[in-house]
Amino acid sequence: MQHMANMSAVRDVSLTPAVDVRGLSHVYAGREGAVPALSDIALEVPAGRFVVIVGPSGCGKTSLLMMLAGLRRPTSGTILCDGRPIAKPDPARVGVVFQEASLYPWLTALDNVEFPLALKHAPREERRARAEAMLKLVGLEGFGTRYPHELSGGMKQRVSIARGLMQDPPVLLMDEPFAALDEQTRMTMGHELLRIWSQTSKTVVFITHSLTEAVYLADEVIVMSARPGRILDRIAIDLPRPRTYQMMATDLFGRLRERIWEQIRTVP
Amino acid sequence: MTRPSPRTVRRLIGLALLVAWEAIPRLGILPELFIPPLTKTLYVLWLDRAIYAAALLVTLYEVAVAMLIACGVGILVGAVVGGVASIRNLMLPVFSSLYAVPIVILYPVFTAWFGIGSESKIAFAGVYGFFPVMLSTAAGIRTIDEQYLIAARSMGASLPQLIIRVIIPASIPTVLAGLRLGGALTIIGVVVSEMLTSADGIGYLVTKNRTTLDSPRVFAAIIVILALSVVFDLAVRWIERRTLIWQIAGRRERPDARTSRGAMPAPATA
Repeated sequence: MQHMANMSAVRDVSLTPAVDVRGLSHVYAGREGAVPALSDIALEVPAGRFVVIVGPSGCGKTSLLMMLAGLRRPTSGTILCDGRPIAKPDPARVGVVFQEASLYPWLTALDNVEFPLALKHAPREERRARAEAMLKLVGLEGFGTRYPHELSGGMKQRVSIARGLMQDPPVLLMDEPFAALDEQTRMTMGHELLRIWSQTSKTVVFITHSLTEAVYLADEVIVMSARPGRILDRIAIDLPRPRTYQMMATDLFGRLRERIWEQIRTVP
Repeated sequence: MTRPSPRTVRRLIGLALLVAWEAIPRLGILPELFIPPLTKTLYVLWLDRAIYAAALLVTLYEVAVAMLIACGVGILVGAVVGGVASIRNLMLPVFSSLYAVPIVILYPVFTAWFGIGSESKIAFAGVYGFFPVMLSTAAGIRTIDEQYLIAARSMGASLPQLIIRVIIPASIPTVLAGLRLGGALTIIGVVVSEMLTSADGIGYLVTKNRTTLDSPRVFAAIIVILALSVVFDLAVRWIERRTLIWQIAGRRERPDARTSRGAMPAPATA
């Protein structure tokens, strides 16, 4: 009995959620008074999980992500990351990859990836070595001297991912990172992301509009309602890993996709 | 037969104009009072080279100081107006309207305040060049892609870091465009004010020789001013090329960039 209690205590520690959102609500001041954007969001993401958030446009997904990143303050509620509250951006705990390539056009790919460490005045050799390792991880070894405009859309997002991983944060937030890519590139990038994820064991919170992408990538899909955004459903994706493109043709894949669609569709 | 490049055509047109400049007065198509032949103009320029050099030095000094004022104050005020919303809403409409005022009408006031020496030219040209620099700096800062700022904040940038590492490099292209325009206006401002009320400078030589109907010497002064403007433009282009590698490279054809980097490893497709 004693032994069992110890075991569970140990497990509790190891299971401190990477992201823990409690009672989070957000109201912003619109032109016609207060607009409730998010309502009573509770979300626990265990370490190492790949969670995808879907929901209709304007449901506050991006707001939620900005709050997880410490870029915006919620009206009420708490956000814990690794057991500690997030009050301001902390790239050592939370890395962010944005929708459009938010790379700096005046910096080379390598300098872009180094940017977060340059802000911390890390020694030059150290950050160069780390940036080169990250570029290699995302499959862009040898492209470090190129400027963003010399890279394709997919390559730019690879650089963004490398930059998000630069400080080895346990949590990686991704705001529709592949939305601007064409379908084929998008599929390839999703697959690449899973490879990178499996090599780095990050906790990923990923926002998308694509239900196929959601089911293909996720351990769990969170379905949000239209504004004010609430969590409607949490769907465990029981597809085995590693995921393959063939799985998209399976019944299970179709049923999961259907279940998400039903919820988003029925919301007025 | 291949079509000649635009550059060749441009040079040919330039050459044709120079030939016309020489030929038209020589052939008596226009009197020499209107256009003195090119060689004659260059000859008097050579004869009076000491006078022109001295005048040019005065003009250069005035232009340099006026540009320093126009660019320095322009960038500073532009940064504040562009960066601080409340000041922008208060001031930008005023500045935009002022920009449309022909400031040259104020020149008599400047001479009353600063005399007819270099100071009034510098003050006038400085004000003249200030507006485009200020307005484009404000525009450059205001139109920075918000995503750049959000990304930098997500990576933990402090406000000084945000300014130095993101806002300044992001606004350089627009600011440089403003400097180019503002610098050119400063030259105009100096020359015009020298022509109006002055006792020295290249603009003064234009006015002085015009009153004596000495056309070759008027045109000699014009050539010097043209040269000054062209040198300024070349200098700004050179600075642009040096600082905006990433932008200019973007305008270049892609194959160019590829061949120059042929030693690259096999590219990832996505």
